[in-house]
Amino acid sequence: MLEARLQQANVLKKTVDAIKDLVQDCNFDCNDSGIALQAMDNSHVALVSMLLKAETFQPYRCDRNIALGVNLVSLTKVLRAAQPDDVLTMKAEDAPDSLNILFESSENDRITEYDLKLMDIDQEHLGIPDTEYAATISMPSAEFKRICTDLMAMSESVTIEATKDGVKFSCTGDIGNGAVTLRNHQVEEKPKENIEIELTEPVSLTFSLKYLVNFCKAQALSDSVRICLSNEVPLLVEYLVSGQSYLRFYLAPKIGDEE
Amino acid sequence: MARTTRSKAAGASTAEASNSISKTSTSQSKYALSPESANPPKIFILPKKATKEARVVSLLNPRYSKPTRYLVCPETGIYEFTRIVAPMSTPRSWLIERRNGTGDVLQEKKEQKKSADGAEFSTYITKGADLYVSTPIDPLFLKSSQKRALFVPADDHFDRIQQAAPDLHLWEVLRWGGGRVRALLEARMAAVCETAQAGDERMFRFSEEKLLAEVLGKARRMVLPSSLEEKFVTRVLEAPVLGVKRENTATTTTAVKSDSQPETPTETEAPASSSVPESGTSTPRIESAESQSSISSTETSASLVSEASTAATSVAGTVITEEETATITTAELAPAMQASDEVVRLQRLRTAFNFICSSYVPPSQAAVLKARLQSQSQPQAESQSQQEKKAANTTTTPTTTTTGVDFTPLETYLSEIARLRAEAAAARSAGDYSRKRVLDDEELAERAEKKRRKEEDETKKKAGESRGVRDLKKVNTQGMRKMSDFFKKKA
Repeated sequence: MLEARLQQANVLKKTVDAIKDLVQDCNFDCNDSGIALQAMDNSHVALVSMLLKAETFQPYRCDRNIALGVNLVSLTKVLRAAQPDDVLTMKAEDAPDSLNILFESSENDRITEYDLKLMDIDQEHLGIPDTEYAATISMPSAEFKRICTDLMAMSESVTIEATKDGVKFSCTGDIGNGAVTLRNHQVEEKPKENIEIELTEPVSLTFSLKYLVNFCKAQALSDSVRICLSNEVPLLVEYLVSGQSYLRFYLAPKIGDEE
Repeated sequence: MARTTRSKAAGASTAEASNSISKTSTSQSKYALSPESANPPKIFILPKKATKEARVVSLLNPRYSKPTRYLVCPETGIYEFTRIVAPMSTPRSWLIERRNGTGDVLQEKKEQKKSADGAEFSTYITKGADLYVSTPIDPLFLKSSQKRALFVPADDHFDRIQQAAPDLHLWEVLRWGGGRVRALLEARMAAVCETAQAGDERMFRFSEEKLLAEVLGKARRMVLPSSLEEKFVTRVLEAPVLGVKRENTATTTTAVKSDSQPETPTETEAPASSSVPESGTSTPRIESAESQSSISSTETSASLVSEASTAATSVAGTVITEEETATITTAELAPAMQASDEVVRLQRLRTAFNFICSSYVPPSQAAVLKARLQSQSQPQAESQSQQEKKAANTTTTPTTTTTGVDFTPLETYLSEIARLRAEAAAARSAGDYSRKRVLDDEELAERAEKKRRKEEDETKKKAGESRGVRDLKKVNTQGMRKMSDFFKKKA
């Protein structure tokens, strides 16, 4: 039996919105510590990992591990009916056929209830080790999104180069080339606009901009984004939801097809 | 020599030798075009031996029970007319020219009559390029439709036919030539009837056995024209061509054959000759050829006609006998599946038999004859089969039995051919991509169902797929490694 009550429906709404453009169907794995999700895109070059900790919900109850196989487009349709400030409650049996979703309006006494059919999804789970990244960049999520969308007008891939001087996003396309360089930037009054670069060694990697732009749909979840790079490993783009809950995206770097 | 025959006046025309052609004309003026004649002249080729007493009369067509014109000569017998038509693709017309002083008395009389009307009797162009060739017909066919199981005098019999079609000229014909026509008819009637003498009158009772024997005898004597030979003998017996090589040899043999037997239409009374119905209607010959075909090939009237006309006009160059062509065939064809001489002979016999039946015997009777032929061949089959096999192995020795013919070797050969054809068709449908396979309804329905289900699945899948996911499919992921290369699977 699962029962999870979320004070703001918006959190789940934005999370699902961010994931639904990367994967089609996936399992929400519920256990006593929270609701987790891990899925890869069709090409298996990107991976999304979500964790909504039990603390995010109030209350949260999950007696047994339950996998809720959900089509994310369908779930989006249901969540669209929720107002951002509605209280959202998810309920499911131990071996559920459907997921019950309830929206309670905080302003009036309106109650909206949906039952979403579930499906069996056979999914493999990858173990993701804790990695010490060579470079970690924290920056406003809106800034990252802007860089990615701007550069996508030029090219389909971007090279992210982190040095002690700063981080440079550069690309070369048919019409020319372009680059955005960011430096460490900290202002006490506006912590949201802080840019922080932690570097243990210089890194330069190339990624598909289409995927990065796709990840940026999670921008609404959080004001800041953390970008972690190391040579020879996937890029990590992390959005913190609240507390220890997160939404993480991994993307394999492009190797050897410059030009 | 020139002689004019209009179909109306045909009865008055006399019979002289006639390889030459003559004309009638109704043109009125030199300059203005005269209106088309409602009854334009027709061109007939009449037999040389027909006497002056010969007349064109209407008698009942034995096959179609329709009044049909025949040429009856008290001396030499009865002739039917075969219409030879120009092919539709190349329209032709006749220029009929009159030559003065060559016409006989009747001819001149007619001319005088015409000129008295003010009509110019001169050259005429007819747009119908039909040529009517008269060929002898066995009178026994003319009085078929015998059904009664009683002995009846010939008069009663003729009476009945005359009553069935009162406007025809049977009685008149019987009186001609001092009863010679009648004697001829009775003689032929005797060939297919059991006779008994009652006083001074001869009584006739129709006998199917006799008719069968008679028809079979004709079929044996009949030489198939090349068109029939090719369509119903060579092609039917041809084993499916598995290689290109064999096809070549097959066509050469047919070419040889068409050279060898062009004269058939006039040779026997049966083949390739047909009666001329009322003017303007198409000849029933084509119908009969089609209805008789046991294989699927259908003849177009054009090809039939062109073949017929070449057969009529071409002169036999090198005459090769049946046996010789057969041996040529065996020599050139690959021996994988080769019809023996016996089988070829039987197929020819059957084709000829069917042809006669479908051209001259009423359908009901033809069915009876065919059934009889079949049933007669069965009991003899076992006793004869060994003997026939021997004969087939050495040389062709036609069986001399008067009635029964054993078709067993032919049947076995045909079933073997059918099997080979089915195999070849199966092999081709697997290997030949240029040809669309013919599907039966069930298969089609199944395929449609499958397609529908697939489409349904696809639309469902599309509905569950966001635009972002669709767009990501187009992304070039070259040079990007799979996630599983970096992260190991959890147990």
